[in-house]
Amino acid sequence: MRTWLTQVDDLLRGRKTGPELLTEGRVELPLRLFLPAAVVLGALYGFFMGWYAILTNEHPGGWMQLIASTVKMPALFLLTLAVTLPSLYVFSALIGGRLGFSATLRLLIGAIVVNVTVAASLGPILGFFTVSTTSYPFMIALNVALLAIAGFVGMVFLLRTLRRAVAPLLAYGDPVVEERAQTEDGAGETDHTREIGPLERPTRPLPRRAHWQARAIFSVWFVLYGLVGAQMGWLLRPFVGSPDLEFSWLRQREGSFFLALLRHLSDLLGGG
Amino acid sequence: MRVTLTHTDDLLHGIGRFDPSRRADRPWWWLPAMVLCFSSLYGAFMGSFEFDSLERFWQILFSAVKVPLLLLVTSAICLPAFVVFNTVLGLRRDLREAIQAVFAGQAGLSVALASLGPITRVWYSSVASYRGAQLFNIAMFAAAALAGHLVMLRYYRPLIRRHGAHRIMLYSWLTMYAFVGVQFGWTLRPFIGSRDMAVTFFREDAFTNAYVFVLHLILGH
Repeated sequence: MRTWLTQVDDLLRGRKTGPELLTEGRVELPLRLFLPAAVVLGALYGFFMGWYAILTNEHPGGWMQLIASTVKMPALFLLTLAVTLPSLYVFSALIGGRLGFSATLRLLIGAIVVNVTVAASLGPILGFFTVSTTSYPFMIALNVALLAIAGFVGMVFLLRTLRRAVAPLLAYGDPVVEERAQTEDGAGETDHTREIGPLERPTRPLPRRAHWQARAIFSVWFVLYGLVGAQMGWLLRPFVGSPDLEFSWLRQREGSFFLALLRHLSDLLGGG
Repeated sequence: MRVTLTHTDDLLHGIGRFDPSRRADRPWWWLPAMVLCFSSLYGAFMGSFEFDSLERFWQILFSAVKVPLLLLVTSAICLPAFVVFNTVLGLRRDLREAIQAVFAGQAGLSVALASLGPITRVWYSSVASYRGAQLFNIAMFAAAALAGHLVMLRYYRPLIRRHGAHRIMLYSWLTMYAFVGVQFGWTLRPFIGSRDMAVTFFREDAFTNAYVFVLHLILGH
């Protein structure tokens, strides 16, 4: 448990994806640790999400919804990855990234872990609003907003890590050496050799080609994973559980994610 | 008592054991304890509207519990996200100082609130309207929030000099705290206690949503 937490913590601190670790086109993220981490942390967010059904659902089955939400959150991320991984790998290899199949998988799992960790850390906020709110459209909007924030952090993590993996080390500079130089100038604080965070920009501009490659790979991944993920989320509904409907593991197949989003917004504005 | 007041004075001036530029050498619970004491003092003043019977005494007690509850529980709800965001921005080494800044801000807010308490009491004595009492309290909270922000900024300035990303964290914290705090304040109503309603800890409609309420108010539903 302790090592597990330390590993996740190291990933968040950027120690697993530092420029010096990615030079060989390898990504040192052990799957046997990070795959369970993605499951557990995703489940934690799902758990907070599922409270809503217990507190508002008059039909029996609120507890089932809690279990369903807890299972579905990590399933959403990992199933989407399972479906898109082959195409993600093929496109990144075509564009010319140095990442092999295993490295691609590890990198994406790393990004998912960052994503679900941020989501789980927002869980208490979600839980609090769940306890104090009965409005279904508001809860949907809040979930979308919180997951969007978490997703954004995950995306930035992925983009920056990709750049590190594609570009040579020198673009990032050596943090310790630069910090020392700063201290000698008298500008920096003593005893603070700062780490390079996982979201940090390179200190020097990347070579044009590396910059373009990282951006192209990222864009393709973003579109593929995003579209499949949105539809996968739609397929796995209900996550929150409408108070008016009886519990079911999955809903009837209908419509698409984008239509539903528009409808919920109009519900929220029209009084729900 | 004297020691407490000296420490409070240090916090307000940002000197001694509360000097933002030095590493803190004081027990960690000082700042939360200050939040607890001073905000509960203001809560007591706040609940003293229409204090004319023994039953109304309960409102004083409830409000004295609720104001510190509001500040501290809101922080507790937002802290996990604050820690994780600090970590991914590469600011983990300054985390202790960042959390200290957050609590110093709230201690500043609480001290400012407590100092405004007597004015609130005088307002209650001179203006009988409930709506007036509400608006006056909002003004007091706004003034105290400004004071708290100044204290927090004092602690954040050295951090921002060290790394610009601390600025993002400062504003993320304020946004998150306000977002959760508004809803929590709404849930904990009544703080003042209308004279037409019985004294209760929670209102019957406590578990509704402040934002949805305001949205409907604006749209006129």
